[in-house]
Amino acid sequence: MTAKNDKSLRDFFESFNTSDSLIYGIGNIGREDDGLGWAFVDWIEESAICPEAELVRSYQLHLEDADLISYKKRVLFIDASKKEDIESFYLSKVKAKMDFTFTSHAISVQSVMAICKQCFTSTPAVYLLEIRGYQWELSVGLSAKANKNLEEVLEYFALTQIFYKEGEYDG
Amino acid sequence: MGKKLVIDPVTRIEGHGKVTVQLDDDNNIIGARLHVVEFRGFEKFVQGHPYWEAPMLLQRICGICFVSHHLCGAKVLDDMIGVGYAQDVQMLPTPEKVRRLGHYFQQLQSHVTAYYYLIAPEMIFGMDAAPEKRNVLGLIEENPEMVKRVVALRKWGQEGIKLVFGKKMHGIASVPGGVNHNISKEDIQRFLKGDDGLLDIDTVITYASEALDVFYKFHEENREQVDRFADVPALNMCLVDEDGNIDYYHGKIRITDEDKNIVEEFDYHEYMDYFAEATEEWSYMKFPYLKKYGRERGSVRVGPLARVNVTKAYGAATPLAQAALEKFHDYSHGKASNKTLHTNWARAIEILHSAELIKNLLHDPDLQKEELKMTPSKDKWTGEGIGVVEAPRGTLLHHYKADKEGNITFCNLVVSTTQNNTVMNRTVLAVAEEYLGGQQEITEGMMNAIEVGIRAYDPCLSCATHATSGNMPLDVRVLDSKGNIIDSKKR
Repeated sequence: MTAKNDKSLRDFFESFNTSDSLIYGIGNIGREDDGLGWAFVDWIEESAICPEAELVRSYQLHLEDADLISYKKRVLFIDASKKEDIESFYLSKVKAKMDFTFTSHAISVQSVMAICKQCFTSTPAVYLLEIRGYQWELSVGLSAKANKNLEEVLEYFALTQIFYKEGEYDG
Repeated sequence: MGKKLVIDPVTRIEGHGKVTVQLDDDNNIIGARLHVVEFRGFEKFVQGHPYWEAPMLLQRICGICFVSHHLCGAKVLDDMIGVGYAQDVQMLPTPEKVRRLGHYFQQLQSHVTAYYYLIAPEMIFGMDAAPEKRNVLGLIEENPEMVKRVVALRKWGQEGIKLVFGKKMHGIASVPGGVNHNISKEDIQRFLKGDDGLLDIDTVITYASEALDVFYKFHEENREQVDRFADVPALNMCLVDEDGNIDYYHGKIRITDEDKNIVEEFDYHEYMDYFAEATEEWSYMKFPYLKKYGRERGSVRVGPLARVNVTKAYGAATPLAQAALEKFHDYSHGKASNKTLHTNWARAIEILHSAELIKNLLHDPDLQKEELKMTPSKDKWTGEGIGVVEAPRGTLLHHYKADKEGNITFCNLVVSTTQNNTVMNRTVLAVAEEYLGGQQEITEGMMNAIEVGIRAYDPCLSCATHATSGNMPLDVRVLDSKGNIIDSKKR
């Protein structure tokens, strides 16, 4: 997927290298490709591409994350996806919506946003980056195909930050 | 023609419980069972690992009470290297207090999760309210300010866990014979005075008190329903201190009856001498009972209700919790309460008790001392240990053995949900008789009544507990004696 010319994502091309930015990887590295979200955050950390941003790795979202994002201006959630219509990755801007996927173990990004708005009267810009995964068994390490998708998304994300720095992105 | 009613929750997390209710031709209840069909195998796959890995590996059994598993395992390791209580060598004050601090933080956040996320919606909206309202999201719509406070309270507990164990989930602080760090004065001040986005301790105690108010209001408005719902007998068991009152981290095991007489009291290392375990072909979960009294009379209840039943007093050091406990005891006329929904009352008392215990510990200078662990000589190695702590859900036991190289050869875990197996089954039967007996049609309210009974124990059956109340997927079926479906309801 490419989002460079997608006007709805135009503001994504601002820098995440600010202290009020949050980059949040969701998943379980012990479940093969479910570790994609954390792998993305690992790369952000190792490459020091956004050293000012707060980085979080978590197995799943919790109600408390509504509080966490209420202190932020920009948030990027990264999660592995089983969706077959995603070729490699999909970036979307998330709208707040209370849904019924809540359990005490997990909650959707849309609901976290809705709770943030309702309880904490804050509406940060929230993006969801879904990276296609294929294997989910009890094992550490990404599949070759998932690794390839990760490389694509890393290149894309790096470019968005470069575009921002150099003022090249014109939507 | 007899009928069988099946309530089968479906979940996306490991394992689940299932309820079957057997009806006769007149729709009278003739049996009810809680089946636990999850199997995890942690006791097997930890074998062959170095003994010191066990508390790290075994805490991954659970994403909610991992601290209890970590600390229980740590106590086993203390035994194994020869500094544990079994050797009559007391742990150094600093490591014991650091462990206790982490333990209390976890109890607070675990109880807040169960109480507010899973149980409170039923208390606030009623058991018969529509599922789309009767959940934590409904609470957010109804009272966002309360949810904001709950989030802050749970966050405080999680940050406390991170303070002690380094991570909000599956961290490490305990090492054989002690802990790997103390707690700095600066960190203590953050939790006492509050910090950016972190509550101060006095606000935590205020919010914790509000949990009790939620129960009192619900009880006041629904007294008959609350007190009549699943009043089921069982002995009560927990760890106690030298005065016979609850000690969440260490002590002797005390078991009391309905009149609060001591039925048994023993060193937890002797647990297997006192308890046997029955099995049933319809459940993976065992049924522990006191050998001396047999399965029917010797089954125990553990967890918040058992603990407030056994405990006579918390003492003056935790005055608000003490007052709440006295009110509970007065209401029960000095006897043990067998009322299943009083478990939620007890849980609210323990939220407050945990907060006050934490406050006291945060003021304890031992947390900053440098003596963090004992390292006995190799000849003290015993190769075997038993640990017991009071997890939020009740008494938890770990037992390991290791060979001369220190690799684990045996592991047995008796978790609190297993201890509660018989009393949970009694609860399911009592609720089925009250709500389903003689009825022609299964309703949403009937299904939820069963769930409410199970949920009070906050068991680790995953779906029966950790799906929000209004949203638990259920498949309820009425079968005739030949197994044909004659009625069904799904949500």
